[in-house]
Amino acid sequence: MFPGIDGFHWTVGHVVFLALFFAVALTVITTVASAAWRTAKDFRDHRAFELCWKDDFSALPSADRRCRHELAGRVISRTCDHEFDCRTCTNYQQFAVLPATGFAHDLGLEYPADRLYHRGHTWVKPAEDGTVTIGLDALADHVIGDPDSVEMPAVGDSVDVHQTIWRIKKNGYVVSVRAPLEGTALSIGNRENRWTLQVRPRLDLQDPHTLRHLLRGPEVHGWVSRELERLQVQLRPRDTAATLADGGVLIRGLMDALPNSNWDTVLADTFLEV
Amino acid sequence: MVSTALPDSRWIARGEERTSLPRFLFWLAPWAVLLALGVYAAGLCLYYGLNQTNMDNRFAFGLWIFLDLGIIALGAGAFFTGFLVYILKRAELRPILNASVVVGFICYSGAVAILGIDVGQPLRFWFTFWHPNTHSMLTEVTFCISCYLTVLCLEYIPILLRNRQLRKLPSFLVFEHQLHKLVPVLAAVGTLLSFFHQGSLGGLYGVLRGRPFAFRQGFFIWPSTFFLFILSAIATGPSFLMLITATAEKVTGKKLVPYDVLRRLGFISGVLLGIYVAAKSIDTLIWLNFTSPSEGFAGWQYYMYKPFGTPILFAEIVLFGLLPAFLLTFRRTAAHRGWLLAAAFLACAGVLMNRFVLTVQTLALPTLPFDEFLQYTPSWQEVASFGGVIAYGVIIFSLSYRYLPLFAHSKGDDAHVPGH
Repeated sequence: MFPGIDGFHWTVGHVVFLALFFAVALTVITTVASAAWRTAKDFRDHRAFELCWKDDFSALPSADRRCRHELAGRVISRTCDHEFDCRTCTNYQQFAVLPATGFAHDLGLEYPADRLYHRGHTWVKPAEDGTVTIGLDALADHVIGDPDSVEMPAVGDSVDVHQTIWRIKKNGYVVSVRAPLEGTALSIGNRENRWTLQVRPRLDLQDPHTLRHLLRGPEVHGWVSRELERLQVQLRPRDTAATLADGGVLIRGLMDALPNSNWDTVLADTFLEV
Repeated sequence: MVSTALPDSRWIARGEERTSLPRFLFWLAPWAVLLALGVYAAGLCLYYGLNQTNMDNRFAFGLWIFLDLGIIALGAGAFFTGFLVYILKRAELRPILNASVVVGFICYSGAVAILGIDVGQPLRFWFTFWHPNTHSMLTEVTFCISCYLTVLCLEYIPILLRNRQLRKLPSFLVFEHQLHKLVPVLAAVGTLLSFFHQGSLGGLYGVLRGRPFAFRQGFFIWPSTFFLFILSAIATGPSFLMLITATAEKVTGKKLVPYDVLRRLGFISGVLLGIYVAAKSIDTLIWLNFTSPSEGFAGWQYYMYKPFGTPILFAEIVLFGLLPAFLLTFRRTAAHRGWLLAAAFLACAGVLMNRFVLTVQTLALPTLPFDEFLQYTPSWQEVASFGGVIAYGVIIFSLSYRYLPLFAHSKGDDAHVPGH
């Protein structure tokens, strides 16, 4: 078949067959090589994590992809089509000017107004020196309680928005907590200060767009209310219908208190895991 | 509590409900036993040689070649669905695309495994590429099937990398993303390769001048069986895909794809089957009235040996051809799930019967005055290897269903298909 082997002759049939065969082989090899090269390029250009998040976001259930303006009661229903990145969302201003109509009641959890919140249950507190402190929010803290171990980035490590910033181990489960913004880790916390991180943001904090993707004000209330409702449904006793709570507040350390629940699903829903 | 996590739930896509691990393993157990038996039988054949089979120099094609031809035809759903989605932009078939790739991968890898046993000396597999018989259609088949299996592996990789744990590795996810963008290229290559090897498998019989039952005239270098094999494969591939999906729905008790997708597959299958039946009928008439007499054989001679009487011809063309083509395309019957699946089953049975007839009947019928009607019964090693491939397919499909996103819209929410 090939030149130099077993009486190969340069006939039209041979040439056509060889041309076709090598064209196919070359196409297949080029396709794979091209995919590998593009992958490497995405990592070089820091686009890889953005692609990962876009992919993860598209795989989230629609209940997890609600627009912040729906949470605040500015619109009745809207699914986010911008991967929670309100910084580049052209519709943001159109809805942001509408009055928030959400009903505010006591959540029984502490969500200070001086902080901004990410859907992956982290908070961001800007400091005057241009850095931010990042921590796990109250609901996440109440769910996990005291972790068995926490993996954090090292000082100087780069952190990418929506990518894993903490890896928390608890009762055999591994929770990957997503970073609320991009930057460089300046100092890392410990058990005493609840594993908070100090980060220098990659983008300028003076720019109003830098933290625009994070929830604030009435959006936080709407979001946490829904999260509490979800928890209530997911952690209800077996073979019972979903019921309304008759009061009370969330206890800290739910994973310890309800060890037999389907934590795999609950944690995935809570921390936007796909 | 509402439910407890499965031991392997970390590997199962979020939001997907799967049966318990012990129950799943219980389902796999008999198939694993069958696979083990098949591997043992294949080992015997490879170690002791083909004397473990009941094939001989005159009956050189048996159960294995029938299996190869059958599953390669049924596996055509993979390339054809890819062709419809990526080249003809039939987006409504996307929900079944991943499943079609897995089915294709199973069919082709199973066929190559059986060929490896049948040909023997698997360590010398490269001989066929380096010292090919340039006068054999099987050479072209070998080249195309090898290339297409590579393509199917590459199409399977993105699905594999979407596993819940594997997708957590950013490099895997980005590579999957980039490879997925290039899948249309692979789909086009797969279509070209499939077109040729499906055709050449048919052409292989059509050029057997010494076997007048199979010998056909045709167009240029290609006998009519070349085109009939392509047509029958693309006609029944979607039906097989439909059957596999319906079986998976039955076993899992879940609705995996919208019924419209099955109907669409059925309609495509039915129309192509109708064209195939017409072409096959014309071909049979030409062969009976012109080709065969010119070789010195009257048509009735082929059908005087039981069990290969005329009913088998009737069954192939009418019962397994015309009837399912009608049921698949007629709106009222296609709207009824039972009729649709029954028709798909008949279509698949038809292509298997066609491959059986061309493989076994061709060799069984005498061609020379002193020839006798040959009989062949496969040995247990052949049957066990055959069963091993079936078991392999069930296991791979079951594992893929459990841990990979095979059916894009089974979650029941409006999340769109990742990467699509």
